Amino acid sequence: MGFPLLTVILFFPLLGAIVVWLIPKEKEQLIRWFSIVLSFIPLALSIYLWIAYTRSAGGMQFEEIYNWIPVLKIRYHVGVDGISVPLVFLTSLLSTLSHFYSAYTIKKQVKEYYLFFLLLQMGMYGVFMSLDFVLFYVFWEIGLVPMYFLIGIWGGARREYAAIKFFLYTLIGSVAMLLAILYVYFNVGSFDILEATEKFHLIRPFAANIVPVSLAFWAFFVGFAIKVPSFPFHTWLPDAHTEAPTAGSVILAGILLKLGAYGMVRIALPIFSEAFSYYAWVVGILAVISIVYGAFVCMAQWDLKRLIAYSSVSHMGYVMLGIAAAAFALRMPGKETSAAIALNGAVLQMFNHGIITGGLFFLVGIIYEQAHTRELKAFGGLASKLPTYYGIFAVTGFASLGLPGLAGFWAEFMVFRGAFDIIPIYAVIGAVGIVVTAGYILWKIIQYMFLGTFNEERWGGKLVDMATFEKVTMWPLVLFMFAIGVYPAFIVNLLNDATTALLAKL
Amino acid sequence: MVIPLAWYLIVAAALFCIGLYGALARRNAIGILMGIELMLNAVNINLVAFWRYVRPQMLTGQLFAIFVMTVAAAEVAVGLALVIAIYRSRDTVNVEEIDLLRG
Amino acid sequence: MFMFNLLWLIPLFPFTAFVLIVLGANPNKKLSHSLAIGGIGLSWILGWLTFFTAVFTPHFGEHPVRLTFDWFPTGNTWFETGVMIDPLTAIMLFMVPFVCLMIFIYSVGYMGYGTEHVDPRYSRFFAYISLFATGMLGLILADNLLLLFIFWEIMGLCSYLLIGFWFEKKYPDPRQITPKQAGLKAFITTRIGDVIMLLGMLFLYSRVGNLTFEHIFSHETLHMLAEAQVTLPLVGTLPVATVIAILIFGGAVGKSAQFPLHVWLPDAMEGPTPVSALIHAATMVSAGVYLVARMFPLFAAVEHGPQVGVVAFIGAFTALFASTIAVAQNDIKKVLAYSTISQLGYMIAALGIGAYVAGAFHLITHSFFKALLFLGSGSVIIGCHHEQDMMHMGGLRQKMPITFWTFVAGAFALSGFPLITAGFWSKDEILAHAWEGFMHEGVVSWPFYVWLLLTIAAFLTAFYTGRQISLTFLGQPRSHHAEHAHETPHSMTVPLMLLAFFALTLGFAGIPEEIIGHGRNWFHHFVGHEFAATPLSVPVMLLSAVLAVSGLFFGWLVYGRKPLAKGQPDPLVKALGPVHTVLKNKYYFDELYQATVVRGAIGLAELFFKFDNRWVIDPLVNAVGRGGAALASGLYRFFDLPVIDGAVNLAGKVGVALSVALFHFVDMPIIDSAVNLVGRTGAALSAAWDWIDLHIVDGLVNFSGWFTERVGRAFRLIQTGRVQNYALVVVAALILLVAVYLLR
Repeated sequence: MGFPLLTVILFFPLLGAIVVWLIPKEKEQLIRWFSIVLSFIPLALSIYLWIAYTRSAGGMQFEEIYNWIPVLKIRYHVGVDGISVPLVFLTSLLSTLSHFYSAYTIKKQVKEYYLFFLLLQMGMYGVFMSLDFVLFYVFWEIGLVPMYFLIGIWGGARREYAAIKFFLYTLIGSVAMLLAILYVYFNVGSFDILEATEKFHLIRPFAANIVPVSLAFWAFFVGFAIKVPSFPFHTWLPDAHTEAPTAGSVILAGILLKLGAYGMVRIALPIFSEAFSYYAWVVGILAVISIVYGAFVCMAQWDLKRLIAYSSVSHMGYVMLGIAAAAFALRMPGKETSAAIALNGAVLQMFNHGIITGGLFFLVGIIYEQAHTRELKAFGGLASKLPTYYGIFAVTGFASLGLPGLAGFWAEFMVFRGAFDIIPIYAVIGAVGIVVTAGYILWKIIQYMFLGTFNEERWGGKLVDMATFEKVTMWPLVLFMFAIGVYPAFIVNLLNDATTALLAKL
Repeated sequence: MVIPLAWYLIVAAALFCIGLYGALARRNAIGILMGIELMLNAVNINLVAFWRYVRPQMLTGQLFAIFVMTVAAAEVAVGLALVIAIYRSRDTVNVEEIDLLRG
Repeated sequence: MFMFNLLWLIPLFPFTAFVLIVLGANPNKKLSHSLAIGGIGLSWILGWLTFFTAVFTPHFGEHPVRLTFDWFPTGNTWFETGVMIDPLTAIMLFMVPFVCLMIFIYSVGYMGYGTEHVDPRYSRFFAYISLFATGMLGLILADNLLLLFIFWEIMGLCSYLLIGFWFEKKYPDPRQITPKQAGLKAFITTRIGDVIMLLGMLFLYSRVGNLTFEHIFSHETLHMLAEAQVTLPLVGTLPVATVIAILIFGGAVGKSAQFPLHVWLPDAMEGPTPVSALIHAATMVSAGVYLVARMFPLFAAVEHGPQVGVVAFIGAFTALFASTIAVAQNDIKKVLAYSTISQLGYMIAALGIGAYVAGAFHLITHSFFKALLFLGSGSVIIGCHHEQDMMHMGGLRQKMPITFWTFVAGAFALSGFPLITAGFWSKDEILAHAWEGFMHEGVVSWPFYVWLLLTIAAFLTAFYTGRQISLTFLGQPRSHHAEHAHETPHSMTVPLMLLAFFALTLGFAGIPEEIIGHGRNWFHHFVGHEFAATPLSVPVMLLSAVLAVSGLFFGWLVYGRKPLAKGQPDPLVKALGPVHTVLKNKYYFDELYQATVVRGAIGLAELFFKFDNRWVIDPLVNAVGRGGAALASGLYRFFDLPVIDGAVNLAGKVGVALSVALFHFVDMPIIDSAVNLVGRTGAALSAAWDWIDLHIVDGLVNFSGWFTERVGRAFRLIQTGRVQNYALVVVAALILLVAVYLLR
């Protein structure tokens, strides 16, 4: 075993948190810059991880296994494959950008803010790397607590309501998941995820144990679906987003939502493949409802941040649709290619949504810092006064509505391409979402905020174009939108190997 | 001479009863807390005794005893903090007078 | 053959111009337009070189050239992409870059370079049109449907940006559409078509496993698609090829503004005039026709399938439908917009009845003369100080001679003036093909209706063209602006003259073989060697010549012989009466869509949001959250407020929405009785509902409330508030349990 790369990435934020804890409260500037500089190290290591991951070998790499609580067979087992590598990188990228952006915008209780943020970062890394159920669960919960405080302390007016709602929802999900983990443990005799993937369906074949396996599957599924969030478990999201500070929203939309989808791909689909396939129609219906319903609800919003929060429901619906299609295909011989494409699309959509919606939340924060309102009707004509802001917002918005040449299109195309072959009716209904998405982005956001005449009386002299630090925050994201849009292979390569391997095993 | 398992259980049972009495009969909140601690420790004695006599090769009994101690410590911390808070606001630790929950 | 290896550079030049302008050149106006014109100029040179290389390559049609590379992995295979050139692409390469170049040069004058009226976003304009040119050039060069779709959407984006270019503009009349709304309308309307096309593409991809044209159009694939059947709900069993063709045609309907998705194009006239020319003449709208032409083998895969009828009928109907509206329009650009819709209908109809060559031919000639007409109208608008209403023009012939003569050339080409204009030859070929099909298949056949509709449309086209020339250029000036009109700068007039040359002469490339000798119909020989040539039909040719001339003559007779005086109403208003009002209001399609689609979508959004936030989901969540605190009141709220009321409200709202929708849909005297019946049934149902609500639901609710309250009162006594008492109860119960266990 060589250099413990994953462990270093995983615990670097914790080290940072300890150092921040030791720095006196008054030295705010030092805390800020220390956190930013420190977050570059995991970022660099994540890039290295991406490069060093040997695609030709495939499978789990950089694995580390140590005994933790041997009596209960709990181990510290981490490892990454082609699906987790991009997500680890995404975590690093968005965290670094959030640290950077927050350095300019967070003014109260700086020390605590960075302390929580670093802990949150560790939790997210942990989920993407864990290959042991207990480890997975621990990191899953670690992510929950700092987010609660980030919303509860640095949030907006109704922050306490939002924080408690967020906490309750995800806690219910966690409890369900914990019970299901125990069920798997008592059957497989180990907490190892890879072992469970191989053995569980042999020990408890679905056909012979419909009731208990179904219950366990649904417990996992609800835990993940709350985090995704899928209809009808989604209402914590708009409240949490609306009240959270900008960087909190970015992390929430960019990464925390991916935890749920990642759990479906890593745990629910491989371990409960038969049950998932059996219930794929339910998942598919929820996905389609999320897509169409989320998009329509967006059209009814007048608060910019709330609108984007609901758009996450719609966009994460594509992820679920891709996963549902792949699950459907398990029972249909000859659809392997379509299943792989659908799953590629789903994971790509996870990455894209992180980049795009993360970017959108930054952009909301940028205007909110100046205007102190997010009411769409309050603006107008910003395109002529804030050209750079308009340009970047337009690019991000068009990426979000799936314009070809930008990142969003590929994921949608692949999901629909896979789903259409497997479950055509779902795909056709889901396609309505594409039109409605164009509607709310162009009509609600672009037209109300940027076009029309500028309100000189209200905003004259008060709104200025993006500052340098805001541009620096946005450029990497915009770059990725274009890069994936033009040449998706550099990321799909990784995903494709992992997903084909994953599907081949089922 | 080997002390039979039953002796330990008797000690534990006695301890538990003392603790139960204290928890139920005392008026002083701190007394109640002490009673609860006694009951927990009685359980600990049971755990360790069973471990030693029934399955010495497994660590389970000890492990759970340590879990219990950890929880007990946390509980005392929280309990004392509550008592102090109540004392500050009401100037008493008499549980008879603390009846905010009455329907 | 070396030329073909540089194909991929053609769209890259304007793209480079776009990137350079966006990234740095935008503060310098001159540099910006130089970059844009330079970019498209290079594309033009390379495009024409490629075109002539293709023309002089023997047997070019049998051996299309492809350059490809691997794009992204799909399971165990890779998706290939690349560029391709075949005869259809080659002739598009003749047309697109040249017309674009003309429009770019013209834009320098139109956007007011060097004057005090220069547009504040001048550089941005050139960036957008460069990106637009990239989209169009990429579209014609794409070797697979996915790449084509990508460029297709990029054009959609540019048209959105360009139509809404003057996004601050507001009009005193709130009902008049503003540029920002027009852009949105264009994007959303075409996107509806695009999604249908995407579905077709997905269907094709999942059946064939590939999207490259070479692969799709191979004999085996087409045969497989034609043989395979698919059963659709409500429709029945159809060949796969038919379903895919109709779905893909949906994209063309959106992009080429065919009925019923035609509504966006006239409003798109809110954009600057070069944009109108670029989008509505030369490039974007013809992309839809190009798509159908490109996918022609797929459309022809099932002989006499429903797809043929759908395409032919939509095209022919649109041709007539739009030309009737054009007759009643007064805005100089709106007339041209409807004329464009109508001419695109011709092309679609041509492709529908199998006249591949004729459709492609009309596509090319129309692009030249319609671009000319749009640019000419732009010149008029600039000359008249941004006056667009033809009723306020008149007498511009003397004041703007170059514009006048070039406009006349374009207008004659549009109306199909015999022999000397390009439009005559291309339009005649379509009509001849329809006539031939009609002769072949009898009166009850698609070709007959297509021929009939197109012939009537041809007359109307000539009529409104004559009307337009007369109103604009003849007679005396009818407004202050027209009196002070002036000729426009050279950057605008030179492109007009060049385009006029082609508008008149291009038709000679496709004169029927019967006239000039066998094997000399160059266009047919180059583009459609595998199709049989349309035989010359003398009666059709004579008829269309007569229609064109008489249409122009009537137009002149009504509007030119006795020119309108200032403030005099259109003579047609009196002649046609209410029909004119309907035509002027475009058959009320905008109002219809507003009332159904737009209102419906917004209403649905509101409904869903209330469901989410006020009626069901959030209240449920909140109720669960509070449930622990107060069980009794929690139960009460849980049942009464969110679920039952929510459901009742929801049902009520759905009922209201439904009845509103019904009212709108069947608001016609014929089916009033049906509506009444529905209304009465609804009333009876709601009365029944009311009874159930009052006696059963409310009774249950009240009972549950009463019951919980009683139980709560009883339990209140036990709740002393002393933790020790509770603990005592627990211990007692425990002892009891142990005793029961031991004594069992």
